[in-house]
Amino acid sequence: MDLGKIFSVSLIYATFRSATPIIYAALCAAITQQADILNIGTEGIMLTGAFAAVAVSYLTGSWLLGVVVAMIAGLIMAMIMAVGHIRYKAEICAIGMGINLFALAITKFLLNSALGKSGTFSEPGIIAIPRVSLPFLAKVPFLKEIFDNWCITEWFVIVLIILVWFVFYKTVWGLRLRAVGQFPMAAQTAGINVNSMKYRAIAISGLIGGLAGAHLSLGYSKMFTENMTNARGFMGVAAMYFGGAHPILTAAGCLVFGLTDSIGARLQAYGVPSQLVLLMPYVVTIATLAVSMASKMAREKKKKSALAKA
Amino acid sequence: MSEYVIEMKDIVKSFGNVHAVRNGQFTLKKGEIHSLIGENGAGKSTMMKLLYGMYPIDDGSIRIHGDHIPSISPKIAIEKGIGMVHQEFMLVNELTVLENIILGFEPRHGITIDFDKARKTVEQYINQYGMDIQLGKKINQISVGEAQRVEIIKTLTRGANVIILDEPTAVLTPQETKQLFVILQNLRKDGKSLVFISHKLNEVMEISDRISVMRQGNYIGSVSKEETSPAELAKMMIGREVFLNIEKTQTKPGEKVLEVKDVWVSGEKEISKIRGVSLDVRAGEIVGIAGIDGNGQSELIEAIAGLRQVEKGSVLLDGKELGGLSPKQIRKAGLSHIPEDRNTRGLNRSMSIKENLIAVQVGEAPFCKGVVRDDKETLEYAKQLSEVFDIRPRDPEISTQSLSGGNAQKVVVAREVSIGGKLLVASQPTRGVDIGAIESIRKILQEVKAKGMGVLLVSADLEEILSLSDRIVVMHEGRITGRLKAEDANEDNLGLLMMGGTASAEERGSTT
Repeated sequence: MDLGKIFSVSLIYATFRSATPIIYAALCAAITQQADILNIGTEGIMLTGAFAAVAVSYLTGSWLLGVVVAMIAGLIMAMIMAVGHIRYKAEICAIGMGINLFALAITKFLLNSALGKSGTFSEPGIIAIPRVSLPFLAKVPFLKEIFDNWCITEWFVIVLIILVWFVFYKTVWGLRLRAVGQFPMAAQTAGINVNSMKYRAIAISGLIGGLAGAHLSLGYSKMFTENMTNARGFMGVAAMYFGGAHPILTAAGCLVFGLTDSIGARLQAYGVPSQLVLLMPYVVTIATLAVSMASKMAREKKKKSALAKA
Repeated sequence: MSEYVIEMKDIVKSFGNVHAVRNGQFTLKKGEIHSLIGENGAGKSTMMKLLYGMYPIDDGSIRIHGDHIPSISPKIAIEKGIGMVHQEFMLVNELTVLENIILGFEPRHGITIDFDKARKTVEQYINQYGMDIQLGKKINQISVGEAQRVEIIKTLTRGANVIILDEPTAVLTPQETKQLFVILQNLRKDGKSLVFISHKLNEVMEISDRISVMRQGNYIGSVSKEETSPAELAKMMIGREVFLNIEKTQTKPGEKVLEVKDVWVSGEKEISKIRGVSLDVRAGEIVGIAGIDGNGQSELIEAIAGLRQVEKGSVLLDGKELGGLSPKQIRKAGLSHIPEDRNTRGLNRSMSIKENLIAVQVGEAPFCKGVVRDDKETLEYAKQLSEVFDIRPRDPEISTQSLSGGNAQKVVVAREVSIGGKLLVASQPTRGVDIGAIESIRKILQEVKAKGMGVLLVSADLEEILSLSDRIVVMHEGRITGRLKAEDANEDNLGLLMMGGTASAEERGSTT
């Protein structure tokens, strides 16, 4: 086995490339998490977005329109969840799983009925998100190799990470969002409308989730297949836990997944069984969650009285 | 312009079946410190939360600066210049002090927060009132006293001229309380109007201009500090029950069944709420613990029952050390326990009378054969107890949800005294029940004692303590301030001890 070939410069981009869809998903989950809402529906929102992007791009010939419609589709899915959870007090995990199952079914149905395909939809008429290289980077030998020919949404994810960080920690809205998530009563006594903040958080999460899907189907690939998110939404949620809903730490967590994925792909070339390689992201997911949960448990103090206060 | 900054008239508020406020009246003058006092559950906090718009009122009217306000939300209250320092601090642990202070009223710089301006404004108030606050720290890094000052600054920066403090001293050390009082007096000097909610009478007498008393959701009256005394206030707070004349059964106390030796226990909010309590109970006697609610009685009982951890010291039941035992093991060792709150601890309100009656013996013969419950046996037993203890309606199959307070409490009492332990801990056994039930429950306690059980009785009702106990210990702020024989005790000397005073020499001489 040639370690030099596995750990080459190109591994950096490969890692980032596989991590990008997960980073989008993780940011989608992080925004609601700051309002203390576990967005388990990230997977479904993303899948819906992926389908909408491909369908619209194919039908209109515009990738930009595809992305916009994907974000709107994500928003709609998220709002179903928001109304169920906030207005009708549904358990968020139950309704989130409902969204995931619904997304699987609706995309499969529309794939058959609207686009007349089953399984996979891959046509030349799909217009992908363009790839660009930054000219000044192209002149530097080492960086050229890393930053060559990136998809627009791959550039944008870096902007988004910073943007989300800025919103969380530097803006009025972010301060209120975090207060709502950590101690809603305190926010309420400060005159903040807690439910309205939660609605907004879920709405923005839906937009980002839709974008995550669009990137997956029009940027990362150029097609739609049934269940193409393949648990990336859940990995995003796991990474979000790992990073404590902090955008930068969360993104770092996603890179771990990306790295596992790309090393796995390379190992396959050396005869490592593909089943084992495909298993790796899930093993990492469980390990990540175990580590972050254990540290969270340790932080939480034991209740002093044997019974919770009524 | 009205004489009053705040006028609350004929306020009514219920939560489900609980009448938190039945008849609430409150007025506040400009530049006064007005204390609102009453026992736990008297409705004082609810009154102020209604004023702050935390919940809507069911009936009555609220005027602020003479304007009638039909519906209040915290936002409107803040705009009208009302600030509230809640009993449970409304501070977000993970945010900094400064972020907490400006939350909801952030000075802006476009969409971002203008932290420089925020810091300048806040520092101005800090300096004006000479408070010690570190703005850059997170809430979980500062002391309770400092957190409270943060809450006060928070109301000031939001432009409050009326500040409500809900039991502010409950979580403070005596030194911190002194600091707080200096701050409060400075605020009054600046023309702020303050509402001070408390049940600690000595503090109320120290800080207030006027005092209003509430009892069981009703307004009792208002007095100015000069015209009243702690004893009068205590009487207003606790009220006189109908005298329930019960002949004390004379028994000869036997062996010690409970020994509490130098026990220290934490409370919900303060470490070492109980500091070094020692007492014992013998077989065939009733020992009453007198004290104003919230002076550590609940924590002591929970510690004995194994529901709360003992910091240090030891508790022995019938000579057996209880440290480290689970509540169930302690019951096996001979404890019967009537908890102070029948709704959350005494009963499972969604289950039937029958099921509640066998709740502590559910896995045991004859109610259980192997792993199968014996319903017939259970029903038989329940019918018998319903008869003996006069639980109405006489149908053990119905849910306890629909029972009146008195009958619900009888279910708890019936269960606890029928298991035949060595010690009965009865915590507020007649709180919130009708006169008839009070009488029968008191009789039952006498019978239990005559049968040779030791009884530890906790009650905020002095009448009850005096009419039932053979010996009385008085608790104040987590310590025992007096031990008296029943024949030496009266409302006056107990009242004094309950307020932290000391017994006179002759009474001390007669302690057991």
